[in-house]
Amino acid sequence: MHLEYTPEQDAFRAEVRAWMEAHVPKEPLVTLECREGYDQHVEWERTLASGNWGMVTWPEAYGGRGLDLIQWLIFEEEYFRAGGPNRANQNGIFLLGPTIMEFGTEEQKKRFLTPMAKGEVIWAQAWSEPGAGSDMAAISSKAVRDGDHYVITGQKTWSSRAAFADWGFGMFRTDPESKRHKGLTFILFDINSPGITRRPIRQLHGDTGFAELFFDEVRVPVENCLAGEGEGWNVAMATAGFERGLMLRSPGRFQATAKRLVDLYRKHEAEASPAAREAVLQAWMSAQAYAYNTYAVAAKIMAGGKIGAEASLNKIFWSELDRSMHRTAMQLLGAHAELKRFDDGSVNQWLEGYIFSLSGPIYAGSNEVQRNITAERMLGLPRVGAG
Amino acid sequence: MDMLLTEDQLALAETVRDYLAGTHGPEVLRRLDADGNRDPAIWQGLVDMGLTGLLVPEAQGGLGMGLVDAALIAAECGRACLAEPLVDTAFVGVPWLLAQGKTDQLADVVAGRVTLPLAHAINPWVADGEGATLKSVDPMRNLAASANDNADPHLLNLGALMSAAQLVGLADAMLHLAVEYAKIRTQFGQPIGAFQAIKHQLATCAVAIEFAKPVIWQAAQALQDGRPSAAVHVSHAKVAATDAAMLTAETAIQVHGAMGYTYEVDLHVWMKRSCALSGAWGTRAFHLKRVDDAVLGGTLAIGPEHTFA
Repeated sequence: MHLEYTPEQDAFRAEVRAWMEAHVPKEPLVTLECREGYDQHVEWERTLASGNWGMVTWPEAYGGRGLDLIQWLIFEEEYFRAGGPNRANQNGIFLLGPTIMEFGTEEQKKRFLTPMAKGEVIWAQAWSEPGAGSDMAAISSKAVRDGDHYVITGQKTWSSRAAFADWGFGMFRTDPESKRHKGLTFILFDINSPGITRRPIRQLHGDTGFAELFFDEVRVPVENCLAGEGEGWNVAMATAGFERGLMLRSPGRFQATAKRLVDLYRKHEAEASPAAREAVLQAWMSAQAYAYNTYAVAAKIMAGGKIGAEASLNKIFWSELDRSMHRTAMQLLGAHAELKRFDDGSVNQWLEGYIFSLSGPIYAGSNEVQRNITAERMLGLPRVGAG
Repeated sequence: MDMLLTEDQLALAETVRDYLAGTHGPEVLRRLDADGNRDPAIWQGLVDMGLTGLLVPEAQGGLGMGLVDAALIAAECGRACLAEPLVDTAFVGVPWLLAQGKTDQLADVVAGRVTLPLAHAINPWVADGEGATLKSVDPMRNLAASANDNADPHLLNLGALMSAAQLVGLADAMLHLAVEYAKIRTQFGQPIGAFQAIKHQLATCAVAIEFAKPVIWQAAQALQDGRPSAAVHVSHAKVAATDAAMLTAETAIQVHGAMGYTYEVDLHVWMKRSCALSGAWGTRAFHLKRVDDAVLGGTLAIGPEHTFA
């Protein structure tokens, strides 16, 4: 264990910091969950790409910088230090990208990764169906082979980014006789294809970040299938591992929130309860613990190790931390907490963040499912009722 | 920058784990509880493994290792609920003596002829020391009354760090006991571990333990490196480890049901050690106050760019 950055790592940090200070928008962007905010965030993706910061860990051949995971963590720390916006393309760069890197053909890598890193194609996920949420193996949307195409019929729902995104990915049942985890295929599709109807879903906060997707005999070329036909479940499990594990939520995000919470506490110290004070300290401690753990996981992966069921522990930890930090902020704000804008006209980011944090323990596999996975795969408790 | 625990470090900890699993199992704990809680043969075994000399420089006959290595082994001592005063003597006392340049006792410590009772103002007792006997909830702890005014902060940090390391080992052991019990105890026609009400409680303990450990290893390295912020990191480690251990103690007893409230199930031994070490070398409140002074008091740089401040 060695807790000093090298001069090269310090120099890289300085480079990221200078670029972020020069480019991160001074005013927070409008929420990603509406047309105006989505467009602002896509523009930001392209600004990032202009500095070649789209996805720093990817090979240069696919629009990245070929950096290691420690450099990625430094990048993320500086990104959140500067108040960088949420990533419009997170479903692409953090989830699908690493999956294509692992399972894609060379042709697929060339075709999909570079436009993803450059923010030219924004991706939505299409995991859930009305009858297949936590129980993803209950998927029933069909993809029927017809020559060199699949013909897709069915419905996806609660698809993040699908209200506005360009492309989507999900699992479809290619073997009509199959049950549960078998006979599923991982397919990438253009959401603007003929036969796809998107119906934006109004979320808790009133905006429309996710959507239902209806597929009516949608023709998708066979070369859009990732790994082999019937391999969908394995591919999806890898994607879900990326989602819950290292990439989706880097520690910088939570350390930045913890720091803002400390500042907020100082403003409200006179009327704050001892419990709120302890919650603020707990926020800092937990965000730091998450950072140490992520550095340790990164070191393990760099030494040739893999991330397994502990991805579920990660997901439980960061999602519940995020909710608890925002809950504390709402308590500190007291009667101001409900205001969408403060007296000075600024947006109440804590309120937006609190509402968003309520989705954390649900998306990327509900925390109930994560606790089952932890109990069964890590602790070895018996499985019951799962097929 | 590298948070990796090396293969060598993990292998040494595993060796100690296997040794203690083989020589210091529940039947030994029951024997120690019933007839005298120290056993020269167990102590000699630890000496023979070189553990009393783990932090003693090679020039003085030791292994010359560091606080991260010691913390990993302290966690194993917690897992085994070790009764002998190895952690106090070898992982707290030795580095404290070394920090003061006192080397005259080290050869005797390495050879196992001397243990180092550590009196400090933070504790109203001294473990394995001289004085009027105090009775601990933990039958394996030998406490003597102490009104020592030694307030040395380095000794306190070493004691708190190694308590934290033992606490996560204790938590690991209690989680394991609860999991094994939940696999075999059958009610309503199935093992109780198949019920989500049980699974989710145990998974929550696993989360707390998983995220306490790197805080401890990081604090050990900070203290080893003499970073000015080391005291804050030690306090963070003590709070996180205390919370993980007490959550796991309470959950493990709950999962054992009525059996959890019996003396017959060995779980209480780990629970009692957890209670003892939670209060030893600074309570949760004491350590939270030190974190408070640093984070809200503004003496520590915070934010995403200060992960290792």
